[in-house]
Parts: sequence; structure tokens; C-alpha cells
Amino acid sequence: MQIAPDILFTVAGFPVTNTVVATIITDIILLITAFVIKKAVSLKPGTFQNLIEMVIDYFHGMTEETAGKKVSFIYPWVVTFFLFIAISNLVAQIPGFESIRFHTLTSGEEGVPLFRAATSDLNTTLAFAVISVVATNFLGIRHIGIKAYISKFISFKMFGIMLFVGLLEFANEFIKFLSFSFRLFGNIFAGERVLATMYGIFPLAALPFIALEFMVSIIQAIVFAMLTMAFMHIMSDKPH
Amino acid sequence: MEMIEKFGLEAHLFLFQVINFLIIIGLLTKFLYKPIKNMLDERKKKIDQSLLDADNAKIALESAGEERKKILDEAKKDADSLTDSIKVQMQETKEKFTEAAKLSSQAIIEEAKQKAAVEFESVSKQIGKMSIDISGKIISKVFSDLFSEDDKQKLLSLALSKVEKVEYEKIAN
Repeated sequence: MQIAPDILFTVAGFPVTNTVVATIITDIILLITAFVIKKAVSLKPGTFQNLIEMVIDYFHGMTEETAGKKVSFIYPWVVTFFLFIAISNLVAQIPGFESIRFHTLTSGEEGVPLFRAATSDLNTTLAFAVISVVATNFLGIRHIGIKAYISKFISFKMFGIMLFVGLLEFANEFIKFLSFSFRLFGNIFAGERVLATMYGIFPLAALPFIALEFMVSIIQAIVFAMLTMAFMHIMSDKPH
Repeated sequence: MEMIEKFGLEAHLFLFQVINFLIIIGLLTKFLYKPIKNMLDERKKKIDQSLLDADNAKIALESAGEERKKILDEAKKDADSLTDSIKVQMQETKEKFTEAAKLSSQAIIEEAKQKAAVEFESVSKQIGKMSIDISGKIISKVFSDLFSEDDKQKLLSLALSKVEKVEYEKIAN
């Protein structure tokens, strides 16, 4: 299995990969959930509504505790990152998800997997990282103003020491792209490789690893969401 | 470049993921988070209102309990004072009636005594008359053979006058 996703076919120059198909499946699940909830939302919730309420309320409460008044801007990003990453990862844990093969002109007799976890594609995780960092900086500018925002990176206070600190802060913003994208990509891709190897050796031996991967899927989603929340809160605080 | 190719980084795919995520976040905010958040707020408001109502009901209940106790205490106090007043009135009435009964009984006794005295006098008079009549008859029977008609009359008159005198003295005593 290669690191890059397999291209199934191209539409007007756009390469439709197996991770794009998995992304669309994740989109469909999320949108169906949203429309079902919107239609059936009630004061006396059923099991499904309860589960969704629990997730949204948990992240809303957590964001409110951390960021206070900025909660209304921050929590949709946090919850969406969590839901998207969690569902994308969990869908990939369904046994046989990667077993369905698709034959392309370039693939051999075995073909390529039709589906592959969206988060095991660096394009997806890098896109999430860029969205998170850009939204974080946008929130920072909106809350503290452009002048205070720039002073976080360029400051001549304390005989130039703060200039050095500002440079570190600036580098930190770029490092976030790498840390966000490679952490998620690495965990999910490695998990898939482990499962594929275990299935290859002895299918039943993969069971404990499925449980482990299930946990990793949720944990990685929480980590990404929580880091976004923390960075958004820090960035929207005035520099000292 | 080789590295980018190895990881499969591709501008189209990257942009697709960015746009896809932004669309998803927009749709989820509109169709999922807002309805759920509004509903949660509404539920919270209802729960808060219910708790407030429950607190108010508790306060009202406590107040009603205190009011009830107060009313009962006042009623007890009134009842006690009424009982005391009735007791005093009853005692007074009893004494009044006892006094009246005493007076009435004394009057009845007095009246009875007077009636008895009058009756006694009348009976005594009748007895006196009867005894005079009987004495006259006895004397006239006894002396009819011994004395002449004139003597009889004199003696009879004398005896009668004496009898009468004696009888009157007895009655007078």
C-alpha cells in the first residue's frame, strides 16, 4: 500500500481518489445526520438526538469554559473538526472497508481499494491544518485588532528580546501546519497499515487492533478539535 | 518535489478538501448546531423556570403552613377565651338561678305556712263549734230529766258560755 491515495478516475482533470470517495461518504453521513436532527429536533430527545446533543453540548461547554465570550465563533470549528475526523476515522474501521476493490486502467489485476480513510490522505489533513490555522489567525485579528495581532510577532520591547520571541511565534504558526497535518495523517495511516498487516497474518489477530484503532480514531479527533480550540483562544488574547 | 509526490500532495485534492470542509461547516452550523443549540437553550430555560416555580411553590407552601399555624393559634386563643367567658357566665347564671330558686322556695314555704295557719284556724273554729254543739247536746240530754225547763235553760246558758270561753282561750293560745 502506497502513502499517496489511489486515483480511481479523473473528472475534468480532477483526480477522484479513494480518499475523496471516503470524504464524500463522511459528508453524506454528516449531512443526513444534520437534516434528520433538524426535522426531528424536540425537547424530549430520542437516543440519536441525545448522542448528538451530548457531543455538541460537551464541546460548547468546554469551549465556553476556555474561551468565554468567543464561544459562538470557536465552537462550530471545534465540533466540525471533531465530527468530521471522528466519522471519517470510524467509517474506515468497518471491517472490509478497504477490501472492496476498484479496477482502473493503470491498476493491476488486484485493482485498488475503492475506499480509504479520508484522514489517511495528507491532502485532507493538511487542508484541515490550514483551515484551523487560518481560522485561528482570522479570529485573532478580529478580536484583538490588526495592530495587537502584528505586535505578537513583531515587537521591540525588552531590548529586542521580544523580537526574537515574535520570530519564534511566527515560526510556531508554520510548525502548526506540520504538527496538525502529520499527527493526524501519521496516526491514521499507521493504524491502517497495522490492521492490513494483521489481517494478512491472521484475521482474528486484528480484533484487538481494531479496538485500539477505534480508540485512536476518537482520540485523534478530540486532540485536533481541542488543539484548534486552545490555539484559537490563545490567539484571540491580547499580547502582554 | 519527490517528497510531495510520495505523499500524494495535489493542489486539486487539497482545494477540494478545503472547500468541502468549509461547505460542511456552513451546512452543519445552519442545520445541526443552531437547531440543537436553540433547543438546548430552550430546554435550559424551561428547566430554570421549572426550578424557579418549584422554589416559589416551596416558599408559598411554607408561608401557607405558617399562616395555617398562625390561624390555628389565633383560633385556639379565641376558643380558650370564649370558653373562659362562657364558664364565668355559666357560674354567674348558676348563682343567679340558685338565688332565685332559694327566694322562690322561701316564698312558697312562707305562703304554705300562712295557708296552713289559716287552715288550722278555720279547722279549730269548726272543731270548737262542733265541740260546743256536742257539749250542748250532752248537757241537754243529761240535765233534761234533773232540772226544770227554766233551770235547764240557765244552766245550759252558763255551761255554754264557759265552754265557749274555754274553747276561745284554747284557740287563742
